[in-house]
This record gives sequence, C-alpha cells and structure tokens, in this order.
Amino acid sequence: MKNNVPYKLIPVPTRSCKICKSGDPVIPKELYEVKNEKPELCGFPLPLPSKKSDYTCCLKTGNVIWMGASTGLTRYDPDAENDAFSIMFFSADRDLPDNRVKALMADGDGIWALTETGASYIEMPLISPEEKAAILLEESKKYVDRRGMYSQKRLGRAGDFSSVFSYGHSDNDGCFTAGFAIGEMYHYAVLKREKGADHPDTIAARQTATRACEAVLLLMHIHGRGDGFVSRTYLCADEPVPDDGFFFRKTGGKAMLLETSASKERNIVGYTIDASAPIPERLARLYTDLGYTDDDIVYKADTSSDEITLHFLHLMTAHDILGPDDKELDNLIKMSVKGLMDHIIDHGYELWDFLNKPTTWAKWSAPYFETAFGYVDACLNAAEVLMYHKVTMHILGEEKKYLDSYNHLIEIGYADLTEKHYDRMLQSAIAMNLHPYEDIMYGDHMLAVSSFYGLCLLEKDPVLLEKYRNGFKSWRTSIAREYNPGYDIPFAIACPDEELDMDMLARWFYRFNLSRLAAGVSTTGRHDCAVLTHIAGYKEISAVLTPDETFISKYDRNPLQQKDVDSGGLFCIESCYVYTFAYWMGRYYGLFE
Amino acid sequence: MKKTIHMIGNAHLDPIWLWRWQEGCNEVLQTFRSAVDRLKEYKDLIFTCSSSSSYAWVEEIDPALFAEIQEMVKKERWIIVNGWNVQPDCNIPSGESFARQSLYSQLYYYKKFGRICKTGYNVDSFGHCGNLPQLLNLGGMRSYVMMRPGPHENADVPQDLFWWEGPDGSRVLTFHIHDTYCRCGTEDIDRGIDIANRRIAERNHDSMVFFGVGNHGGGPTKGDINYLKELAASNPENDIVFSSPDDFFKVVCNSPLDIPVWKDDLQHHASGCYSATSLVKQLNRRAENALIRSEKWDTVASLLTNAPASTEKYAKAWDDVCFNQFHDILCGCSIMEAYEDVKNSMGEAMIIADRAENNALLRILSNINTWKDGIDDAATLVRHHFHKDNFPRPVIVFNPHSYEITVPVQTYHPSSAVCDSEGKAVAFQNVRSSRSNDSHLDTLFMATVPAFGYETYWLSWIDGHIDYNEILKVKADSDFGTDIKADSLTVENEFLKVSFDKYTGEISSLVSKEDGFDYAENGGIAKLTVIDDHDTDTWAHNHFKFHNIKGSMTLESIKLAEYGPARSVVRVKHRFNDSHITQDFILSSGQKTIEVRCKAIWQEPFTMLKTAFPMSGTDAVNTYEIPSAFIKRPNNGEEEPGQNWADITLTCNDGVRRGLSVITDSKYSYDCPDNTLRATLLRNVIFADHYSDRPEAEFNFTDEGLQRFSYGIYVHTGEAEKSDVVREAAVFNCAPVAVPAGYRKGTEPQRKSFISVSKENIIVSAFKFCEDGSGDVIIRAYETSGKNTPNVCFICDLIDAGFRADFRKNEIKTFRVDKNGYVAETNFLEGIVSTCEE
Repeated sequence: MKNNVPYKLIPVPTRSCKICKSGDPVIPKELYEVKNEKPELCGFPLPLPSKKSDYTCCLKTGNVIWMGASTGLTRYDPDAENDAFSIMFFSADRDLPDNRVKALMADGDGIWALTETGASYIEMPLISPEEKAAILLEESKKYVDRRGMYSQKRLGRAGDFSSVFSYGHSDNDGCFTAGFAIGEMYHYAVLKREKGADHPDTIAARQTATRACEAVLLLMHIHGRGDGFVSRTYLCADEPVPDDGFFFRKTGGKAMLLETSASKERNIVGYTIDASAPIPERLARLYTDLGYTDDDIVYKADTSSDEITLHFLHLMTAHDILGPDDKELDNLIKMSVKGLMDHIIDHGYELWDFLNKPTTWAKWSAPYFETAFGYVDACLNAAEVLMYHKVTMHILGEEKKYLDSYNHLIEIGYADLTEKHYDRMLQSAIAMNLHPYEDIMYGDHMLAVSSFYGLCLLEKDPVLLEKYRNGFKSWRTSIAREYNPGYDIPFAIACPDEELDMDMLARWFYRFNLSRLAAGVSTTGRHDCAVLTHIAGYKEISAVLTPDETFISKYDRNPLQQKDVDSGGLFCIESCYVYTFAYWMGRYYGLFE
Repeated sequence: MKKTIHMIGNAHLDPIWLWRWQEGCNEVLQTFRSAVDRLKEYKDLIFTCSSSSSYAWVEEIDPALFAEIQEMVKKERWIIVNGWNVQPDCNIPSGESFARQSLYSQLYYYKKFGRICKTGYNVDSFGHCGNLPQLLNLGGMRSYVMMRPGPHENADVPQDLFWWEGPDGSRVLTFHIHDTYCRCGTEDIDRGIDIANRRIAERNHDSMVFFGVGNHGGGPTKGDINYLKELAASNPENDIVFSSPDDFFKVVCNSPLDIPVWKDDLQHHASGCYSATSLVKQLNRRAENALIRSEKWDTVASLLTNAPASTEKYAKAWDDVCFNQFHDILCGCSIMEAYEDVKNSMGEAMIIADRAENNALLRILSNINTWKDGIDDAATLVRHHFHKDNFPRPVIVFNPHSYEITVPVQTYHPSSAVCDSEGKAVAFQNVRSSRSNDSHLDTLFMATVPAFGYETYWLSWIDGHIDYNEILKVKADSDFGTDIKADSLTVENEFLKVSFDKYTGEISSLVSKEDGFDYAENGGIAKLTVIDDHDTDTWAHNHFKFHNIKGSMTLESIKLAEYGPARSVVRVKHRFNDSHITQDFILSSGQKTIEVRCKAIWQEPFTMLKTAFPMSGTDAVNTYEIPSAFIKRPNNGEEEPGQNWADITLTCNDGVRRGLSVITDSKYSYDCPDNTLRATLLRNVIFADHYSDRPEAEFNFTDEGLQRFSYGIYVHTGEAEKSDVVREAAVFNCAPVAVPAGYRKGTEPQRKSFISVSKENIIVSAFKFCEDGSGDVIIRAYETSGKNTPNVCFICDLIDAGFRADFRKNEIKTFRVDKNGYVAETNFLEGIVSTCEE
C-alpha cells in the first residue's frame, strides 16, 4: 500500500447545533437586541457559501468570525491549518431554524444565531474521529437497533428522537446490517489489538459485533426453508406489514404469502410453502428473548444480489475476526455460507424464490448476462459470484464442488467480464443519451467495492488478481470522485499500487455529522458551488461537499448530487454504519491512528 | 444476428492543399450542389459532410443552395458531422483552440440547422493527440471517425471499432476507417464491402464503408449509387444500407459490444509535418496566444469600465485561426502560394487581438491611480522625460497567467532606477535597443506580477548626460549585488550556473544549484545538428525517424554579450555551408529557464536543424505537452509531435530522477534517440512534395531564408509533469505586456489580481464573455500534473465569484458565472446549447 504511514487524526471543532423555535424561553432576550456589524468582505480570500451582499451581520469569537446572511451562516477560521475548517456553512434545517440570520451573539462556549423563525445555539466542541464513532454508535444503538438489525428507523415527528417508532423495516436490512456488523468487527479487532481482549471496551465491542453478526445470520435461516435462501428482512407479530414486495407469515411449519399489491398483481396471495427447517437456537434468541415465537415471524422474500453480496463479505469478516474466539458462531457461519453457496450453484447461479424461479435481481447466470438488463449488470454480477466462491472456499476450504464451480466460471469468461464494467456502463449511457453519472445505480458502488475487495484479498493467482484489480479500477471513474473512505480504504487494500488522498479522507471523518438524524440542508443556491447539469437534467455540484453540509444517506447515493433532502426523508434516523464501517476499517488496516 | 454495412456517402474537401482557398471554396459550392441533387434523385441516399467553414461559404455565396441543405439536414438526409470549423491537424492546435473549434462551429450548426454534431470526424488528419477524447466530449461529441495512422504505420492501433480513452478518463467510441474515406468505382467499393464483411465476421458488429469522390470534393456519383443499390438488391445476404456515422454508432451501442480500449494517442502518419514550414507553426502559436491573452484583458476591461466587449471580433479572429488549423495548412504541406493567404488571415486574427488588447489595457490603466503630488502637466511630463521635476515614469506590467510570475520586462528608454508599487527597488539594467536613434538603450527590469493582474513599476529617468557605450560595456567579474554573475563564458543566477565551450559554442556545463548536478555531464548540450532529409517528402511518408546526421554546425564566434544586475547574455554564432545561426543564451535574475533567442539565415536544402541535449541514465521517459495535457511516449527515437515543451527524465547515476525540458515558442516536433532529447528547429524541404519523383526544377523550400524563434532550457528533479515546466512554458510563450502609463488619479490600486486559483497545477486558459450575449463570464481551467485535485478555490471579485471545484487528473473544466456570481459548470458550448439537443 502506498499510504504506508498512518495518518494522524486529531480532535477537531465539530458542529453541535440546538435549534429553538421563536418564543422558546431558552433563547436569551439579549439576542433580540443585538446589533451586529456587517462584515467587510472585499478581497475575502476564500469562496463564501452565501453571496457577499447577502451577509448582514458578523461576530468575532477569538480569531473565528461568524457571518450571518439571508441565506445561512458562515464560520470563518483564518488560522485553520486544515483547509477543511477554514470555512464552514450552517444551514436550515439541520443547523438553523431557517436561513435568514438576523443576529449573532456569543454565549458560553457557543454562539446564538437568531433567524426569522427561531434561533440556534451552536457549539464547536473538540471531538476526535474515534469519539465521534462512539457517539454515533450509541445513537444507533438507542434509536436504530431493531433486534440487532441496523438500517434506519422512522420517526413520528421530523427531528424528534422521542417520536421514533419501535418497528420499521428496510428492504435492505441484511445489506445495511452486514455493513454495520463488519464495522463493529473491525472495531473489536482494533481494540483487541490495542487494549487487549479483556479490556471492558473490547468486550463491549465484541458483544456489539457479535449481536449484529447474529442478526445477519438469522436472515439466512429465519424463513425456515432450509435451502440456503436468504430473507431480505423479517418482522414480528406486532409490526405492521408494509405494502412493499412479498411477505410470508410463518405458522405451524408453513409460510403463507400475504396480501400486498405485488402478490395481488401476480394473483398468488395465500401461496404457501414449507417453513419447517429449524432456526439455530442461538440466532433465534434475537426474537425469542423478546417473547416472540416462530409463529410470530413475517419474513420478506424476493431478495436481491445487494443483500447476498454484503452477506458474503460479512461472513468472511466474521469468520476471520469473530470466528477464532467463538467456535459456535464460526460453525454457524460455516453452515450458513455452505447453505447459501450450494443454493446458488445448485440453481444455476441464481437465488430461487418461492415459485422456483429466480428473484428479480439475484441472478449471476450466463443466460441472464445475455439479456438486455443482464448485459450491463454482468460485469458487477460476475465479480459478485466469483467473490462468493472465494469467500466460501476461504471459510470451508477448497472443496471440489466450489473449486470446480469457480474454475468453470473463470473458463466461461467471468473474470474477463469483471474488467468491462466501464465499457458497458458507458455504452449503455450513450445508447440512452445520458451521461454515465446519470445512469449509475449509486448503490452498486458498495457492491462493487465489497466484491472486488473480497476477491483481491482472497485471490492468489496473479493473473486473476490482476484482472480483479483492473475490474476494481474500472469503477474508479465514478467512485474516486466521492472521496468516500468507505470505498477508498478497501480500494487501497485491494490495489496497493494506488495512492489515496489522505487529506480528503480525513476531511470526511472530521466533517461527518455527530448525528444521523434527518433534517435536510441547503445546498441549492450556495454561492460557492458550481453546479453541473447533465444531459437529462441531473444536477451535480462540481466539488464534493463535506458530509456535514450535504444530505444524509447510506452507501447508496451520489454525494455530488445537488439535493437538500436527506435520502431517508425528513422522518428518519439513519444507522451509523456509514461512518463506523469506514473508520474502523481504516484503523484496522493502520491507515489512521 | 445479421449485421449491417453502413455505406457512408461523403465528399472529403480540402479547402487548401494543392490549391488556394479560392479554388477550395468553389469546389465546396460544386460539391454541395451535386450532393443536394443526388439526394433529390435518390430518396434513400444519405450524405455526410463536415466543416462549418464550408457551410459558411455556401451560406454567404449561394443562399438558395444553403436553404436546400438546411431542408435536407432537417429531414436527416444530410448529416452534419465534426463540430469543428475544419478537419484540423489534431496535434498542433492548443487545447483552447480545440475549445474554440467546438464553440464557434457547434453554435453555428445549432443556429443554422437547429442541431449540433454528435460525431467527431477527422478522416484525413495525420495524427490524433491523446487528449482528443476529452476535447471531443466537451464539444458535444461522444463518437469519432478517423483513418490515420493505417495498419502499416502503427499496427497496434485497433482497427474498426474501439473505445479511445484520454488521460482524464474520457472516452469516445471510435471507428477506424480502413484504407480510404473516399471509395469510388465498383472495384474500390467491392473492396470496401469485402473488408467490411470480413470485419463483421471477426467482430460481430456492424461496419462502415465510406464512398464518394474526395479530397478535391465531388461526393457520391450516380454510377456508384446505382451500383450500391443493385448490390443491395442482388445480395440480400449482405445487409447494405445508405447510412450515416450517427446512425452507425447508435446501432452498435444498442447491441452487445466487445471491443478493445486504446489509452494512447493515434500516431504516426506524417512525421515530417510537425516541423515543415515553420512560418505557419509560428503564426499559429502566436495567434493562439495573442487571442487568449487579449480576450482575457478585454473581458477584465469591460467588467471594470463597462466598455463594450469585443466578443464578436474574437469569434471572427478565431474563425481565421481555426480555418488555418486545417491539417494540410497547419502541417505545412500545402503549396507555397497558400501560405501567402495564411499570412494574411493570421494577420487579420492577430491585429484584431492586438487592437482589442491595447484598448483593454489602456482602459484598465486609466483607472489605476498613478498620480504623484506635484505634477501639474501630466501629459507633458510623460512625453518629455528630461523635465526638470524628473518624476519617475509609471509602467504597468500585465500578467495574463493565473499564477504570480517574475520575469524580465523590456521597455523603451534607459533608466537610472526601477521600483515596484511599494517603492522597493528591483533588479534592472539598460540594454541595447533595436533602434539606433537617441540613447540606443532600453530598460530591462525584473517584474513580479500577481496572478492574472498587474503591477506598477516606476522607472527613474537618467538625469543629465551619460556615456551610453560605457553602460553597455561588458565587465566580467563585476558584482551587482544580485544573483547574476558572469565570468568569461560562464553565467549564473540563483538557480543555475552555465558554462560554454569556447571551441564548439555548446553548453559544456549546466549545474543546478538545487543539488549541484551537472546536466551537461555527458558532453555539450544545445548542440546544433544538421540532419539530411533528402529521402523524404514534405509529409515524410513512411519515415518515422530523422537520424541521418549530415554534420554539426561549426562555431564562428562566441562572447559574453551582456552582463548586468538583471541578466547575462552569451552570444554564439554558428554556420553550416551558407547557412548561419546566431543564438543569444540569456540567463535572467531568478529565472529557472535559460532563454535562447535565435536568428537563422537558412539555405541548406533537404535538411532539418535540431538542437540536441544528450542525457545519461536509466529508465528514461519522454514526456510531451499535448493540447491541455501531457503524454508519455516510448524513448525510441521516433519523431514526435509536441507543443510548448518536450522532456526527457531519467534515473541518474546517483539514483535521483532528473529531467531536462526544451521549451519552444513556435516548434512542434521533437525526438529522443539514445537519451538525447532534440527539438527540431527547422525543416527545409520542397513545398507539397507528395510522394513525388521530383522533376528537375528550382523548387522553393519550406524554411529557407530568415527565421527568428526562441527556445528555452529547463531542468528539474522528479518527473516532468510534477515540475514547473507547464507554467514556465506558458510564460515563455505568452509574455506579460508592459504599458507605459501616464499620471492619473484613478480608483484602482497600483497592484491587483483579478483571479486567484488555490492550486498550482490548475491553470486558467480562458476568461471571456459567454457567446450568447448574456454578459455571463466563462472561466476555463485545466489540471496540469496528472493528479486528481479536489477542492480548488477560484476567486474573482470582479464578477463577485468565489467557488470550489474538484478536478480529475488532466481534466478541463469550463465555468459560466452569471451576473450575481452564481456558477454553472458547463462545457465548450458554454451552456448555450445542450449536448442532447437535436
């Protein structure tokens, strides 16, 4: 790896904003009387988020200058050594009640910003990236955890933690929870290395990682099909079943398809399948400990390749990190990986659903690659299924079935296909008269990263390894511009000849929000952002914004997109895994200290 | 699945080649008339044609025919391709030229035909620089048709269809024509179809065959059209259709494709073309730089003073420059008479640039506060410098580059002192002027000017009578208190110590003071070498190397010609038979580049003159500037096209990577045999000598007579692209302008920067008004070091703009700033027309 000297991450000023509505008694009365001067901005040396003429008031605290505008609040630190902190922009609704800043006043360790409809008390405590990981983890544990699954939770009222619903599934609970679990496994591994296995922090980290791992494994068994299938998610009896896809209710060893728009459309409501396969007791405890039984379970089918890919990456990491210390868990991992891999091979490289047909998106077969959809998917899907084989053999040993299957896929050109991603993506974009950035499924980035990271770690054949590295690089055109450590760290591990911009990665950690609570920000109308409109009208900002100044999302959106609404909407709190996955992986590999 | 052969009816038109433009224009009219007639006669025929300059001729001369063409374009019977003025040479024009080719041409097409070209189409151009994929994409073209080099010239270039990827990662889907773009006659067409069928069988996708009489125009003939129709009818197994490149690319993109990716440039076809006819190369470089610089100042002046901008005039001037970038013109292989026309039209372009720049600079400086208390008659004081009050005279130096520079600046009249705007004395000396009246002296001083801005210098008059000859007397070993030192034939400054061999006139030692390394450790550098070029034609068809040394030039004289606080000059004179060259090696204070000003009287037929820089080491890499980027090429001694600079970098005996760059002001051809980097300074062959058997005659030669040009020598550690060579070469080619100012009470300070860019490897290449008349401002910049560069800050208070942008390695970005300072990123078409518009 070219970045072989650990980058030192330090505590940095981190925004913490408390928003108050007009009339809230905590707003100091003096704030309404403050008369600030207008800032002198002629010759200002840096781009400003608001137009200069929009600035109406300023306040100096030490050497830092706060400048209020009719379009937001700007913090300027002329002494900031790191460019990431010279200019910070605070905007509605995440930081301010609204963007019309009227007055500024210092108070205690922070400042008050009075706006048209309220005020915000802003503090900038020094917080290290590791402390941030802990803060975010605690928030997720408190508000996002759903029987060990971590994706997101719905809220009854926007921005109000207390209104969080106890239920609320995600279509990709397995995928997102796997990401969370992997991050916590690296967390555990780092603490074990640095503090020792018996340190209370290490023990706590191991417990968190193990519980998440169990939750992911449970999805591989919850359906009771016993054929290696994987559920997207599951609900318990007291959770409402959403009208979103195919849900089976388990009763007495059978599972019956519930009525949803999708099942009605296909006229298969009530379709019943076997669900008698036992669920490993250790995994079942995740719901039995809460008083639920097997007959309380509703699981979701039609699982996609997204889920399967993160499941395999999770299995590999769990086997390597948790397995040595927990043989029971490792046996569950082995059983689960065998079941899933056998299913995929035995079904012609497809994940078969209840009608003995492949699910909509979990197809890795050569015939699928010949179809119009499959032609573009083929390069990613080929890498995915090759990675599944390597992970399976890594966990179970090079059993003949898997080795033969892997070699067969190599023979029919799967490894070569992995290199052609950009060719086909561009061809598809040209055919549709789109820019490639308008045509990408941004969720595919994490799937590509997971697949190639796994392949490059596990493949020893130099010819194949070179192909996989080329395949990984064929994704860099769209991935590199995000400066997202969650993508770039696995890339640097997989392709050690490539160099990372560590300052940009550090900036991402430094400027990540302290909370994953949705609120939205103001990027539209920023004066310091050039906006690029692509062929079909898709808008991007020309310089990727820091996470605290752009919308909140998982590893499934384009951070350059000009978008003010968080990807989960206003009534949402997201999992911390976007941060913790990247941070602990970076620490695990010694990129940061 | 059955595949289709797309028959592309076209007519390649060389507006100048073995004829002058008047004949080319006439041929365009006849060809377009014929094409319209054929389209009317054959309802399924489709005609494809490039070059907006040809359409503009027709529009002006025959509006009725133009209207018929407009109708045919509307019906998609006539397909416009290549959104550029002409099919230019694709190595010599600068990146900004390619931007202008797209801008003016695509806007013309959009205005006249309601659509832009989707396909780039340079079927006859002799080579294609590596950055073309990006330049085409930014001009709205995602596919490309080319032909040269052929398989016999470079067998590695994929045939038929391939992805061509540039250094920034941009790609164009490229079709490589086999053999010819103008098949005519049944035998030739049969051959084309045969090749296409073979390619289809091998590659399993559609193919194209180009037919129609070409070069001197013509287009599809009735005979060929009838033959193709019969062929299609009688051979149903062959799916042969009249089609266009646009349709071809559309079809292939909708089917599975398994084609190679090419990540290099497309060379070589005509290796002699990048040095033949120095005149046109020099005019091109000068005109490009004059226009770019002038338009920057015109934009500033307009924003600062509300004066009308010259946007339309620049469009006219660029039209001249873009036209003269046609491959047979710019490559120096047209007839001699054609270059008279080129001189005239390039002159028009440059005078437009000069006038507008002068107006702009005078408008700007009229706002600069240069007032001195005590002045009662400003105009008289300026004119009569021996006035009793003896006020220093202000000279404003304007820097068009987006980074601060320190350079020598020469102004008329001698001085006794020079100070900057803060009153700080700067190094200067009085030097011999080009005139022979009054003092015979000019002032040369070292100016430090902020990024894209100006600085005011105050030059004090010489009071009373002085002995001018005494001033100019060279006294070696003097100490002026600056970094300039000279002793006999050794000169030095802060960075370099350079010694000359008194027997050869070559540089015998070039020591970098950074690490004490001698770049001339292998013997003399800047060695003038005469190459025998007898066996080639003007293009040098099938010749890729020029290594046949005829002899070295012999030294006639060498002397230390100047030595002062600001610079030293060693003057070296060489001869070869009846040819002579004088080289002034100039080392100025604080400069990293040695400037070599050359004046040659060249008489030697069938020769090349090269200046050679032998280096020693391992793992040599050659790097060349290409339009808005650079490229690494094999160190194999082949003649290579390059722009402002070429470089050799290698691992020296002490294990350190070091490089030497040659910077030129008007040259485009280099080679590097055996680790010896050589710039080709002159190429003196017969005009338009095309595979000729050369009858007995007294021919005119491309580079005979007086030649004035400059080159620079720059050394560095590390790789070329990480050094300062791009910026050094840009300043070398586009000097700041010094304008004597009067005494004025202005509102602007004496020192000011109009744009600042936060990263050294991002260079602003254009600052202009948007072509739509909105008053929006266009800023174009590109990355120079091949490194992804995020978070680049641009500040331009003049338009209330401050914004950030991320750049990919070698990426060009164009920004459009509205009147409120809000910024849109766009492309060469400035957001006036979307690339998806039909």
